[in-house]
Amino acid sequence: MGLIAFVSGRWLGGLRRRTHVAAVSAISMGAMALGALALVVTLALLEGFQSTIRQQLADSGFHAELRPRSGPTLPGGTWLDDIRRRHPELAVRARRSGAVWCVAGGAALPAELEVQDTLSRVEVNRVLAARLQAGVGSELTVVSPRLQLTPLGPAGIRRHAVIGAVTRIQPGEERAIVTAPPGLGEALIEGRAPSSVELRDADSSRAFSVASRVQDELPDGVDVVSFAELNRPLLAALSLERVMIGLGVALVLVVAGLNLLCNLALLAAEKRSDVAVLVALGLTPQRVFALLLTLGTAIGALGATIGAALGGLIAVVLDRSQALPLPAGVFIVSHVPFRVTAGMLVAVWGIAFVIALLASVVPAWAAARRGCLEGLRYE
Amino acid sequence: MHKGYGVGSRRVEVLRSVDLAVFSGEMVAVVGPSGVGKSTLLHLVGLLDRPDSGELSLFGEDTAPLTFDARSRWRARRIGFVFQFHALLAEFTLEENVAMPLLIVGIDRAEALARAAVLLEVMGLADRRGHLPDELSGGEQQRGAVARALISAPDLLLADEPTGNLDSANAESLFVLLREAHARHEMASVIVTHNEELAARCDRVLRLGAGGLEEQCSKA
Repeated sequence: MGLIAFVSGRWLGGLRRRTHVAAVSAISMGAMALGALALVVTLALLEGFQSTIRQQLADSGFHAELRPRSGPTLPGGTWLDDIRRRHPELAVRARRSGAVWCVAGGAALPAELEVQDTLSRVEVNRVLAARLQAGVGSELTVVSPRLQLTPLGPAGIRRHAVIGAVTRIQPGEERAIVTAPPGLGEALIEGRAPSSVELRDADSSRAFSVASRVQDELPDGVDVVSFAELNRPLLAALSLERVMIGLGVALVLVVAGLNLLCNLALLAAEKRSDVAVLVALGLTPQRVFALLLTLGTAIGALGATIGAALGGLIAVVLDRSQALPLPAGVFIVSHVPFRVTAGMLVAVWGIAFVIALLASVVPAWAAARRGCLEGLRYE
Repeated sequence: MHKGYGVGSRRVEVLRSVDLAVFSGEMVAVVGPSGVGKSTLLHLVGLLDRPDSGELSLFGEDTAPLTFDARSRWRARRIGFVFQFHALLAEFTLEENVAMPLLIVGIDRAEALARAAVLLEVMGLADRRGHLPDELSGGEQQRGAVARALISAPDLLLADEPTGNLDSANAESLFVLLREAHARHEMASVIVTHNEELAARCDRVLRLGAGGLEEQCSKA
């Protein structure tokens, strides 16, 4: 490989002595650079927006949920208190829930009642509020399937309340939910064991790791659902968006690779007599192949390095300078965010390198197969 | 040996029925008009091409079964080439060009350059070793090409019109160089040349014609 690197490096450096070939090689290098730059900036833009969305998601909801593996409620014991004690950074909210009917404004709808220890008022989510056409201050009657004996016979237990708040819903949430404090809720649903427990880290940037932190401390019969699993549809959509857009922009690199293929074919023709001399001196066809492959890959790799570095720099500058403002009230951020990671730069460089390598194969193979006599005769 | 190029009505029989032997230590000149296959003969002997028919043995070994790689190895280690147009690589210094055969066989670069420097000293080109080929005169370029051919101490030296592009003075000094190197390395040399005067100073002259080998003359 030493000879190959020596010769290809010298040929690459010697290109400047041949203006037209140097110009074509510079164009190939520039095309690879442009492709890498475009891909880095695009991925940084996507990552900027998507990380903002993920952060918003983490800020607005809980980060993990403990559910019974079977049955409607979680097992008893001190494990929940142990989790509270061992993880003071986590807010632990036990939910007890059951099916009820909600009546308001003449409409009656089935809903899920959740009892929260920390609540002091009755809240409904937007789904229920919309279906009941009720809002803050509306009167609400919650009817439980538990029966109580009345002078008129058995009837469902009822509690009346005023809606204190209408809560936001999780993306994709379609359940009608009424949330009540213990004083009101426990009378309406059977049993007191929690049906699930919500965990939330005070530092929302650690949302993805909450489940793994408590995994080993759970008793048998309790499963933990991670933040990623709770938001699987949205996160999968974000991932798919990143992949598809990335693939689309990566086509620029493919076009650059085709340009490199043509350029290398031109270089191979230019170097035909030199290759013929090297073959006459004893260079094997495999090493001729390696020589041209190294030359083409080096051109592509140089371009990819320049492009990835420039792309990263542009993205960082655009983000820090907040150069691209967004209309207030329309987007969740005030400017177009860019987020560059080392892994992103390495991945883009790697893709560009592989494309350059593949583009170099055919001209290198053709040069290796070509007999040297033509090159010597030309001499 | 027999060699032609092309197919059908476009086929040209370049080399016909050449039957010869070259012995170690012998300097053989090959003369003849253009197009009779002098360079083709050199390419066949140098394992750059294969004959259409006939046998080629080098150093007692039949070359027909040799693979591409094996032929490359033979060229690298046992055969030296001198081309008409020096064929030095433009991006490399004279010293690097001379060292190239050693680099191809895997010798360390520092050692290869050191051996090239010694040889260039012998050739009287020591002060030019760091120059690129286009910074050298025609005679210097061709002497550099001879040095490259001799660096690996080949058993067989093949020279295709080595003095073809030189004036008479340079041609004479180059031929003297070849003669001295031939004697010093005790190798076999085959030199294709149009220069009858130089050819006559070789041990044997082979005259090729359209019908093949026409005449072999040995120096008395």
